[in-house]
Amino acid sequence: MITPNPDTTRLKSAILRGVYDENLRMNNAAPEPRKVKKGPGVRLLSIMAMLVLVVGGAAVLSRYISSGHSPGNGSSTPVAKVQALEPLPITTVEMRVPVPVPTPTSHDSFILQAPMAATAPVREDRLLDYSLILNNNQVSLSSIFGLGVHTIVIDPGHGGIDPGAVGVMGTKEKDVVLDIARRLRDRLLASGRYNVILTREDDSSMTLAERVDKVNASHADLFISLHVNALPQKRANVIETFYYGPPSDEETLQIAEQENRGSGITASEFDSMIRKIGNTFKEQESANLASSIQHSLFTNVKKYDKDTADAGIKIAPFVVLLGVDAPSVLVEISCISKKQEELKLNLPAYREEITSFLAEGTTRYLATKNLHIVQGEENDQKVRRKNG
Amino acid sequence: MTKKSGEKTVEERMIVGIDLGTSRSAISASNGKKKWVDSYVGWPKDFIARKVVGKPILFGREALEHRLSLDLYRPLKNGVIKEGTARDEEAVKELIHHLITLVQTKGEAEKVRAVVGVPAESFKVNKVAIKKAVADFAESLLVVSEPFAVAYGVNALDNAMVIDIGAGTVDFCIMHGTVPSEDDQRTVLTAGDYIDQQLFNFLEERYPHSDFNMNMIRRFKEEFSFIGEPERAIKVDIPVDGRPTKHDITEEMRRACESILPAIVESTLELIAKFDPEYQDIIRQNIILAGGGSQIRGLDEYLEGVLKEYGPAKVQVVDDPLYSGCDGALALAQDMPEDYWTEV
Repeated sequence: MITPNPDTTRLKSAILRGVYDENLRMNNAAPEPRKVKKGPGVRLLSIMAMLVLVVGGAAVLSRYISSGHSPGNGSSTPVAKVQALEPLPITTVEMRVPVPVPTPTSHDSFILQAPMAATAPVREDRLLDYSLILNNNQVSLSSIFGLGVHTIVIDPGHGGIDPGAVGVMGTKEKDVVLDIARRLRDRLLASGRYNVILTREDDSSMTLAERVDKVNASHADLFISLHVNALPQKRANVIETFYYGPPSDEETLQIAEQENRGSGITASEFDSMIRKIGNTFKEQESANLASSIQHSLFTNVKKYDKDTADAGIKIAPFVVLLGVDAPSVLVEISCISKKQEELKLNLPAYREEITSFLAEGTTRYLATKNLHIVQGEENDQKVRRKNG
Repeated sequence: MTKKSGEKTVEERMIVGIDLGTSRSAISASNGKKKWVDSYVGWPKDFIARKVVGKPILFGREALEHRLSLDLYRPLKNGVIKEGTARDEEAVKELIHHLITLVQTKGEAEKVRAVVGVPAESFKVNKVAIKKAVADFAESLLVVSEPFAVAYGVNALDNAMVIDIGAGTVDFCIMHGTVPSEDDQRTVLTAGDYIDQQLFNFLEERYPHSDFNMNMIRRFKEEFSFIGEPERAIKVDIPVDGRPTKHDITEEMRRACESILPAIVESTLELIAKFDPEYQDIIRQNIILAGGGSQIRGLDEYLEGVLKEYGPAKVQVVDDPLYSGCDGALALAQDMPEDYWTEV
């Protein structure tokens, strides 16, 4: 269809050579990014990436600290959350078949991808604007714009071949959080006010990227990711809630590495996601939701178990929280490495109680949000009346 | 062709060109066979589903028909395999294997030489994954970007531009006598799937009580898509309360198809403007539309009209959009010198 160029043969020869060269380069440079061990170079890049995150999130942190919250206990106890090394059979939550506790594996996914962000320039003037907005504790963007919540997505962590943390009696994190997610969905649906969706309805494998895609495709207004802690070196039942941001301590960073493993997020996707850090609304609302859930969960669980520790609200770079457009939190609802807690997690009644605390925290946040909206409308009406 | 003792001759080997598309994948073989399949791969969800569908894995239309029993994958959705999603990588592998078996006849060599064309975006990020996926079935293989394969197939090697309008992406590629670099290529995500979604939304808005699904929408688009003035009113049967009812979808079809134009025009102009000013006129007169989207009636005239505001312009459509990619890949494979194959 195209008139052949007189030099077609020469051109083709050059092009074929080019294709060959390109493919040869491809063959010779076929790294296996997920198998790369963290060496000093990677560590250096990780530090650079974290610096960018810290600069980008400094404003969030400053507001956070100024509002009187503790950024976490700062303990450097190593995280011992474990993952099974091979696919395990589908089980019900009630199943108590003892399985050997696998040894922790190396963490790579977040750290290896983060360096992409280090090349992005950070404009100081933008940071200043950002900080001015965020430091104003009297203003919530949701109340300014009268934003409401229609769709809530609940994410039971792990699933399928990934059991998450496994207790000494074989209780798997994936089963516990799936059951509680279903219960929470039913409770929130019962209010008749929200559309509630689960990222996974059954014991199926999902990468973090797939979870993020599903949440964003469902136009979620709120995202709650449920997990269970495993901290064998701590005697307490540690409860903590995270929202996206630079890590508040080394331990938090390690938990993020664990939860981000095998995220399925490509470097380019990560680059575009990192731009979402500027989403002030999301951060404000995520912090409020985290605060409400953590308060409700901890104060209620503490009544039953005096050994419950409040690890507080933490800011951490979980990929799943970054990728989701809506305000998002990740809740570590319990600590499965504590034997007594694992026993209780096997009881439907206890899971129902935890669900009720989560629902309480969520609905309190939603009620406050509605209050803001009502106040905004009232003020607006007052202004209109005043203006005649 | 010289050969070492014990080596197969080129004639004994099958050479294939594969177009691994977001929506459809096609293969063209040196034995003259050509096949295509919808880019869907499905595995039975459980042993009951396995019994129902009667196969361990299903492809294309068959997979779509049994989608409720399957874990269904469209592995190159949005033009890329998601890194780390093992199932998607597995699906690509199975899809390529399936395509090769479609053109193989008994007694033919099991191993083949293949050139695989993939969406430009996938070429950037997934080339190694795709190479790994094909490695089990191909003795040697080369991966190229899809619009480049089309360009090669139609001899648009120099001062030409290919616009490959697929389901997930529209890929732009400027040819200037060498393998195009990333700077010579663009990808936009408002493509065939976007038209489907837009049409679905428009029809849902206009006919809220009518029952239609995405497959029907896709069928309407493939049959009636147009830009500009319609030849006649487009009326289709859509059930309302179970009763087939005629619906006029002319305006909705036009709006949906035209929704992808701004991005196409902008990218075309931008890529041409970046090129050597002395040759911009020539490129403007050597624009080739490929992919399923090239069949939108009136698209070539529209684009030509817009480009003529900048000087003489000529936009042509490939003769066979379904096979132009794999035919180009096959042509490239057949032209590739023996030495290059050996080393690759």
